[in-house]
Amino acid sequence: MTPSWILDILAVIMLVVAAASAARLAVARPWQQGTQAVLADTDVSHLLMGIAMAGMLTASLQTLPNDAWAVVFAVLTAWFGYRVIRDARASGVRALAGGHCAPHLIHAAAMLYMFVAFTAPAAHASGGMSGMAGGTGGMGTLQVSFLAFVFALLLIGYSIWDLDQLSGPGAIGHYSLAAGRLAPAAVLVGATAGPGTAGVPVPVSGSAGSPAATDSQPVDACAPATSGRGVLAPWVATTSRIAMGATMAFMLLIMI
Amino acid sequence: MTEIAAAGVRPGWRASLAARAETARGAPDVRRRLQLALAGIWLLVALLQYQSFMFSSAFNQMIGATAAGNPRVVASPITWDATLVSHHPVLLNSIFATIQLLIGIGIACRPTVRLALAASVAWALAVWWFGEGLGMVLTSSASPVNGAPGAVIIYALLAILLWPADRAGRQAPFTAARAVGAPVARALWLVLWLSLAYFALLPGNRAPQALNSMIASMESGEPGWLAALERGAASLVAHQGLAASIVLAIALVIIAVGVYLPARPARATLVLAIVVAAVIWVFGEAFGTILTGGGTDPNSGPLLILLALTYWPVRAAITAPASTTQVSASISEGTPAS
Repeated sequence: MTPSWILDILAVIMLVVAAASAARLAVARPWQQGTQAVLADTDVSHLLMGIAMAGMLTASLQTLPNDAWAVVFAVLTAWFGYRVIRDARASGVRALAGGHCAPHLIHAAAMLYMFVAFTAPAAHASGGMSGMAGGTGGMGTLQVSFLAFVFALLLIGYSIWDLDQLSGPGAIGHYSLAAGRLAPAAVLVGATAGPGTAGVPVPVSGSAGSPAATDSQPVDACAPATSGRGVLAPWVATTSRIAMGATMAFMLLIMI
Repeated sequence: MTEIAAAGVRPGWRASLAARAETARGAPDVRRRLQLALAGIWLLVALLQYQSFMFSSAFNQMIGATAAGNPRVVASPITWDATLVSHHPVLLNSIFATIQLLIGIGIACRPTVRLALAASVAWALAVWWFGEGLGMVLTSSASPVNGAPGAVIIYALLAILLWPADRAGRQAPFTAARAVGAPVARALWLVLWLSLAYFALLPGNRAPQALNSMIASMESGEPGWLAALERGAASLVAHQGLAASIVLAIALVIIAVGVYLPARPARATLVLAIVVAAVIWVFGEAFGTILTGGGTDPNSGPLLILLALTYWPVRAAITAPASTTQVSASISEGTPAS
């Protein structure tokens, strides 16, 4: 049995990620940005995934029933699938590997898979997925285990890529499907607040925030902002994604 | 890393360095991509090490089993290690897994890539002895089909070949030659693949039912579709041990000498290496038995594929001017793989 203290540590990390995502949403106030509010989707997904994964990791944290989470992540998977298709139409197949929406799609799909494919241990047949440690009943497993392996490989790949980009020169600025033409989501969110607003991202690309950026030019809508301070700093979003991806890969592998 | 390295360089070089860095910024850095693939495998290994199985007594039994057949001088430390792990399974396995996690993260983070690669060599050598019984190469049971000469030694080899430095004034015909030079890199490749050919022809591996038994034994605990694949492959080589071993050995020898051939035939032999490694990974190693929930690592298949990619001939030879060796290497490693 994987020691419960390891699962508890990871649950705490996931709650920190959820809290950071909630803080980002609270500071950026995307709901005040009119139609651009939808661009907060990555932080919303991090918030939901953080809570769901913490609930999966520790038995002491009861969240939603499995079916409810499955519906939530089905919606997120469909949403990011739509985003990836949109990116791919605008930027070609590179969007599948190089865009920011693809990792979020994989994250959401992996969560959906975990909730749909989870088989509780016999002693916890009616206990849902809460608490992978499972007490005396042992740990749950996932059906179609090869899919868990594939998801784990993809999540590890994206986490490694994020680590490389995070530690490189210019960090997040290197993410792009078409450099200089893409408008990171949080830039679009923050653009209407005006440059120089404390703690709010400001546009760094000439076309960012312009109406044309959403229609005639490829938009990597899930990309973190290239500027921002405090909780809105780009490294916060990327670090959250790395922590989430690695933890999710861990969960998939130990439930094979 | 770029800034750190450049700080110690004469001012006259700054302009050319800046230009070099700018050029490199737009070009994919193959070596960095391969380093990231290695980091990903280390991260996978670390996460597998956190599985329930590894915290149980099965883990120390698995270590202890590698002592069998080895000379006493090799076996004794393995037995000591297995005993130690049996006394402190949670503590030691947590430490093992965390070390591997840090190695993976370290290679993925550019400022720590050298430290992590160096640590990975030391760790891999220790695990090769204490955890894998030197890949069983000193016993009669080593086979390229079941992971000889030990997957973990290939991690060390890759760390050396992907070391972020360039030999001064030399042209590198492939990525693996950048750090150690083409003659050394080719010699390492030759030794590895010839040793695999040798292992394929060991009496225990060329017996009529040897390969059949080896593949059939991988079926246990695997998902239905993979078990069916294993059964099918095992039946194909039933009573064909000698012929299969000879064919495999010939393929491995061709692969071994392939890196000495001109670029076009060299690429063909590298493709053969990738195919052979993939076949071994699926049929001989069953994806490292990861799908059984008891795999400690993906075994040698993916590592052999990654190794073959480090020998893939480059279109234009990579040249490292003598006085800019350190800097160009640093720029290269600090360049995003676009």
